Amino acid sequence: VSGRQVPGHAATRLTSPAEAMPFTYTSNLSEVRARVRRYAMLAGLTNARADDLVIAVSEVAANTVRHARSPGTLDMWHYENEIVCEIRDLGVITDSLAGQRRPTADALAGHGLWLVYQLCDLVELLSGQEGTTVRIHMSIRVTETGG
Amino acid sequence: VDLLSASVTLVESASDPYTLVELAGEADVTNSDALREVLDAEVAKQPRTLVIDLGELRFMDSSALHVILRANRTMDRHGGVLALARPGETVARMLRLTAADQLIPVYPSVAEATAG
Repeated sequence: VSGRQVPGHAATRLTSPAEAMPFTYTSNLSEVRARVRRYAMLAGLTNARADDLVIAVSEVAANTVRHARSPGTLDMWHYENEIVCEIRDLGVITDSLAGQRRPTADALAGHGLWLVYQLCDLVELLSGQEGTTVRIHMSIRVTETGG
Repeated sequence: VDLLSASVTLVESASDPYTLVELAGEADVTNSDALREVLDAEVAKQPRTLVIDLGELRFMDSSALHVILRANRTMDRHGGVLALARPGETVARMLRLTAADQLIPVYPSVAEATAG
């Protein structure tokens, strides 16, 4: 995944020493969700959009638990008008259209990545032998920051 | 402390007894096997009505949803009804996005879920 630059806006990380990033997770997905929620609120997302981001990141991290057999890492940063969550693990996704088809409502698998695509403004997915990187972008709307 | 807790009650009512499963905490891929065990055990008893109270469930991912969809399918096969009650905002959003709320009836309260 190549870096996506927003002209004129430098990336910012909101971090405290206690929440250094990237954050490594194994099965502690509750902590992943808590960190995403805190970061999203600090970066200026509304509650509802923060909810969506939490659901999306949790689904990607769940894939790490299901398939990767390795820990995953979560990194987050934001620009003035966009928050980015990057999830990396050593799993390999071979279906280049994974998550892009809507599963039937009674399907007993396959909702995870599809939800990520529904909930977020932009999803970058790169997978190869060295692992998988998913970058989830969520715009921070002007109306949300009151400006 | 477990992330997810489930308590099962057999509610005796003269007209129509039902099984109530109350979930609390966060349901995700890391505890969906435990959730499956709880629901499978109750579904196997073939109750006419099984209500899952989601009121104290803060989060549900697609793994947990699939466990519930699977329980619904088995209940259906046995001629029983699975109903969901009191989903919070995040859980309700999950049910809506996946259209699971069109397969399984969702009620604002347990009382309404059991009223049929």
